[in-house]
Amino acid sequence: MQANTIEVMAGRFRNSDGRKARPYTKGRQVDRLTKAEIKALIGESPRRDLLIEYLHLIQDRHGHLSSKNLAALADEMCLAQSEVYEVATFYAHFDVVHEGENPPPPMTIRVCDSISCELANAEKLVHDLEQASLKDVRILRAPCMGRCATAPVAEVGHNHVDHATLKKITEAVAGKHIHPAIPDYIGFDDYCGSGGYRLWKNCLKGRYSPERILDDLDTSRLKGLGGAGFPTGRKWRIVGGYEAPRLMAVNIDEGEPGTFKDRYYLESDPHRFIEGMLIAAWVVGIEKSYVYIRDEYPAIIALLKEEIAKVQSAGLADHLEIEIRRGAGAYICGEESAMIESIEGKRGLPRNRPPYVAEVGLFGRPTLENNVETLHWVRDIIEKGPKWFSESGANGCSGLRSYSVSGRVKEPGVKLASAGITIRELIEGHCGGMLDGHKFKSYLPGGASGGILPASIDNVPLDFGTLHEYGCFIGSAAIVVFSDQDNMKDVALNLMRFFRDESCGQCTPCRSGTEKAARLMAKPEWDMELLEDLSTVMTDASICGLGQAAGNPINCVFKYFPEDL
Amino acid sequence: MGNTIRFTLDGKTIESSDGETIWQAADRVNIPIPHLCYLPQPDYRTDGNCRACVVEIEGEGALAASCLRKPAEGMVVRSDSERARKSQSLVMELLMADQPSREKAHERESRLWEWAETLDTTSSRFPARDSIDRDLSHPAMHVALDACIQCNLCVRACREVQVNDVIGMAHRGHHAKIVFDFDDPMGASTCVACGECVF
Repeated sequence: MQANTIEVMAGRFRNSDGRKARPYTKGRQVDRLTKAEIKALIGESPRRDLLIEYLHLIQDRHGHLSSKNLAALADEMCLAQSEVYEVATFYAHFDVVHEGENPPPPMTIRVCDSISCELANAEKLVHDLEQASLKDVRILRAPCMGRCATAPVAEVGHNHVDHATLKKITEAVAGKHIHPAIPDYIGFDDYCGSGGYRLWKNCLKGRYSPERILDDLDTSRLKGLGGAGFPTGRKWRIVGGYEAPRLMAVNIDEGEPGTFKDRYYLESDPHRFIEGMLIAAWVVGIEKSYVYIRDEYPAIIALLKEEIAKVQSAGLADHLEIEIRRGAGAYICGEESAMIESIEGKRGLPRNRPPYVAEVGLFGRPTLENNVETLHWVRDIIEKGPKWFSESGANGCSGLRSYSVSGRVKEPGVKLASAGITIRELIEGHCGGMLDGHKFKSYLPGGASGGILPASIDNVPLDFGTLHEYGCFIGSAAIVVFSDQDNMKDVALNLMRFFRDESCGQCTPCRSGTEKAARLMAKPEWDMELLEDLSTVMTDASICGLGQAAGNPINCVFKYFPEDL
Repeated sequence: MGNTIRFTLDGKTIESSDGETIWQAADRVNIPIPHLCYLPQPDYRTDGNCRACVVEIEGEGALAASCLRKPAEGMVVRSDSERARKSQSLVMELLMADQPSREKAHERESRLWEWAETLDTTSSRFPARDSIDRDLSHPAMHVALDACIQCNLCVRACREVQVNDVIGMAHRGHHAKIVFDFDDPMGASTCVACGECVF
């Protein structure tokens, strides 16, 4: 580094007392041209919280992040080089290239290797792609892309290929089809034409009071549909009770393997969510909302930018500043406090609690964090009446659930059904039954985190809290169905590798525990004592839900599928 | 002293005033709780990442980091329950799995080894991580990340205590790595060798 500088400057520096000073400046220097380029790219007065957005700008322009550009960015933002570097290397969608290293090929193919895609032979697809020796292309494995009903899935550039085959992918590569396909959705005019934003306008006219909306939410028993199931009305009241200014963070970082309901709603009816967000902000007294969207959903980023702009032009969002933020490939940012860190432009490290984000959230302010589907239901609950929602449940449960179903069923997809239906009712009544030649063996009730249940436990209502006694939980209602052709030891290893790859690395139990567990679980024989100890320490001592749930696959295999070991 | 509360720690009733953490209160009454990423020195922010200091709080699901958690009136805390001790020891055993053996340890009298002895966990049943090369690029200091426990004390020393802004924690998960600038050799980085991170 800086060899030229050293030669040119050598011997020319002397301190006043005649001692030799270091003949060069320490560390990596910034060249002026690059700094001017970076300045032109990110604009005047850079904001610390936009670091990840700036990294995207550079990565999008150059296809990677060179040391030269990163150093210039750090300098322009008055940040330590290490601070920029640690953020750039945390997120999977950034490619940092050091001096003397080759940048990645111009085109990237990501193949999903999470559980639903693995069931659909993603492994063979990766192998075939590697054998095909495509020119100027690199092939990467990637975690769940939220398209599990059309597994296996690959992404060519930002173009997702459903039911991916070698042929489909090579055609996309040859045709340079690298941009996301924008789905056919209900746009602003159509949404308004069918009564959309009427409720919101009525709120502004004073026909509804914030208290009335809160009461309806309480009566509806709507709960946080991101997975935690916290009563929505109560959350809104809590945040509203803290001193202003208050902020909002909308969680569209749908990364739990097997979950794709949020994508489904945003790609079909995005304004229903926007109207819910406007109402939430008004009721709670929020002045700015950050909409955090995972980078795996480029079509949604594009369409929400367009549709939110329309809402703003129509004068419907005058009380609320809205900022869209783009994730960069990190499952952990779906954890609410990690998302807040990421919105602040940092690594997505979950925070220790207390304090809770409702009190001390974004930029230290009280923050309302809601999942997108939770907000999606607000309009219907107020318009149809809260009992319409609360009385939609089954088997003693309350409300509706959007089950994301994938795996060995005939008709996978998002199934809107009663909260509390059983897995049998879901498979037989909503998914056309099992695939031919497959016998129902087991299921994930809540993605990678929610544990694994055997087919024998098929009469338990699927809802928040009901699966606790079986060591499982429903979370985001990502149901992955397995058959007699699937080995649960292999399934558990896939899930553990996902946790290992997506652990933020902050706390010992999760960082080290998932790594050790994945090593031990790849062995032909499982060491029960060691794996149970790992599960215990991850569950009891991890900072956040990722580590606390990472032991679930281990426990469930020992408990329910000893014959698979 | 205003806002005095009473809580129970390992069966003892302790009076604590506003702002003190469970660990600090325990230290004051001579109840030792393991701690690695927490350095009770001025200017060192508590971070709660190593989880060696976890304690069991009655009525709560997961264990809590005592270095961060503040006691509340009537709280019942155990640092010596079977569950708390098990996690404290397992955290230590996980870290020990990735350490050079005691004979080859770079600093045998370090706090890590002291606590390992106290917890009777100087070896590990878990498989070790892949080996890590040493950085010998600096004339005065060597960087031996094979002994790193990712506690980020050196990041806090460099960034927050001395405000030299050289050291960072890069990458994520089990790849998380202490770096100088852009993962440069220490000797070629902007490090001014202040020595705070060695402390």
